[in-house]
Amino acid sequence: MEEGGVRRAPIFFMAVIIVMLVMSLAALILALVAYLTQNTIEYMNVILSVSAIALSVYLLIQMRRKPPSLGFETLKVSTVIKCVKCNYESVREFERGDYVLKEVGSCPKCSGTLHIYSIFREVKEREKTY
Amino acid sequence: MFTEALLVSVQQPAVQQDVMGWIFQLIWILAFIVIWIYGQRIQTTLMLREIEGSLVRLKAMRDRGRQMVISAIKEIGKPNEDPTARVDRLLEHVDIEPVSLDPTGIIRRLEHIIDVRDFRLKDEVRQMAPQADETQINNLTNVLEAALALNQIYKIVRHYYLMGKKTLSFYIILQIQMILPLIMRESEAFASALRAFMLGQPIGDGAGALVAARLMYGREKRLIAQDTVVSEIDLEGRKAYVIKAKGPGGNVGKPGEAIKQIIEGEEGRIALTIIIDAAQKLEGEKPGEVAEGVGVAIGGPGVDKYKVEEIAAKYKVPLSAVLIKEGIEDVVSTMRKEIVDGVEEAIERVKRLIRENTKEGDTVIIAGIGNTIGIAQ
Ligand SMILES: [Zn+2]
Repeated sequence: MEEGGVRRAPIFFMAVIIVMLVMSLAALILALVAYLTQNTIEYMNVILSVSAIALSVYLLIQMRRKPPSLGFETLKVSTVIKCVKCNYESVREFERGDYVLKEVGSCPKCSGTLHIYSIFREVKEREKTY
Repeated sequence: MFTEALLVSVQQPAVQQDVMGWIFQLIWILAFIVIWIYGQRIQTTLMLREIEGSLVRLKAMRDRGRQMVISAIKEIGKPNEDPTARVDRLLEHVDIEPVSLDPTGIIRRLEHIIDVRDFRLKDEVRQMAPQADETQINNLTNVLEAALALNQIYKIVRHYYLMGKKTLSFYIILQIQMILPLIMRESEAFASALRAFMLGQPIGDGAGALVAARLMYGREKRLIAQDTVVSEIDLEGRKAYVIKAKGPGGNVGKPGEAIKQIIEGEEGRIALTIIIDAAQKLEGEKPGEVAEGVGVAIGGPGVDKYKVEEIAAKYKVPLSAVLIKEGIEDVVSTMRKEIVDGVEEAIERVKRLIRENTKEGDTVIIAGIGNTIGIAQ
């Protein structure tokens, strides 16, 4: 990608937004002046300028927003260890070198073989009703 | 200046007010006309910007992926020389599909190309990482493939972006903009896959393999095809051949070849073939839901699917499928809790299918499909 192209676009957009902001502010002042001098409220001007200000502020916030994550962050992954013979079970954090059905020592209760039963991550999701 | 003008306008109202009002009317009308005429152009620019934002993210993902491959190879493989140049070369790797103008034997040709590709990639990794064991080589190859996918996606999106920018054609830009959300979801999936592959964690795609692994745990296994193991077990009074890719390295094995060999070895006397695989869920379906069906549930380029369909049709072997549903973002990232629960459910379904559709003493085949990374047997 051309580096110039990437940088130019935000500047162009900033300019558009700023022009919009200035224009709507001017319209607002005009409405204010009209109100002060003639005691009339120009609803059209007020609505247009306020919505334009809101829009440009929203766009500015959008542009300044930090880019969302890239999906590389470490997730919390759990390893479940179970005994082959009895119902002993323990959960710990995933360690490098773990894999499902790997034998990891003996059971503290019955000295049977312990193996990794499952490895998973948990995702919190809102309950849906539909 | 401005405030003075304002004060003046406040002091002498009427006429000036009127003029200002007219000017503003004119500006709004002009704005309206500009939007009317240049609407599409403005929309094009906005779309280009949206694509550009995604492109920047894709580039960051690609670079990060590349960095991860290089550091993983350095860390695990302890190479004698810097692998950077080699990784860069591999990230540009292309596969050329076999010619389909004359489709006769295309599956055989496709399989050959896939085999050669797999061998080449693994061989390259082996040379880059001399200290890595077989499992680590398989995992590193998976990491490399995920980075390769990120690179390809980035380059394709960039192609359309630059084309759109050059031509300013609404329709070229529209094409890429329409599928951009899906592309981003897929690349995010590959990005999280990279981490899972590096750490050797089981992924969503391995759900089928996990079912098979649970069934064959503690039994004797033998290698039946390349990277594929089979175990003869007794299940509900039936003789069951359980097939899965050889773990815990990242492998998909050759389940098609394995099923073919078993059916041929038994001369077609197979009462039922059950294939368990992860399947893409529809939006709104819960991850880990289990569904049943008929047919060959093997994804990928179609070589394995073809082989099983061919041999099953020849010997009239019934084909059942047990599917574990998951979202596109779960397929290649670390297995979710719900999918693990789905695996337990799938095992029960397999047992029920066998009980209901076969008699005691019959022979059945149970094949767990998927990348078996992080899952032994
Ligand atoms: Zn125990």
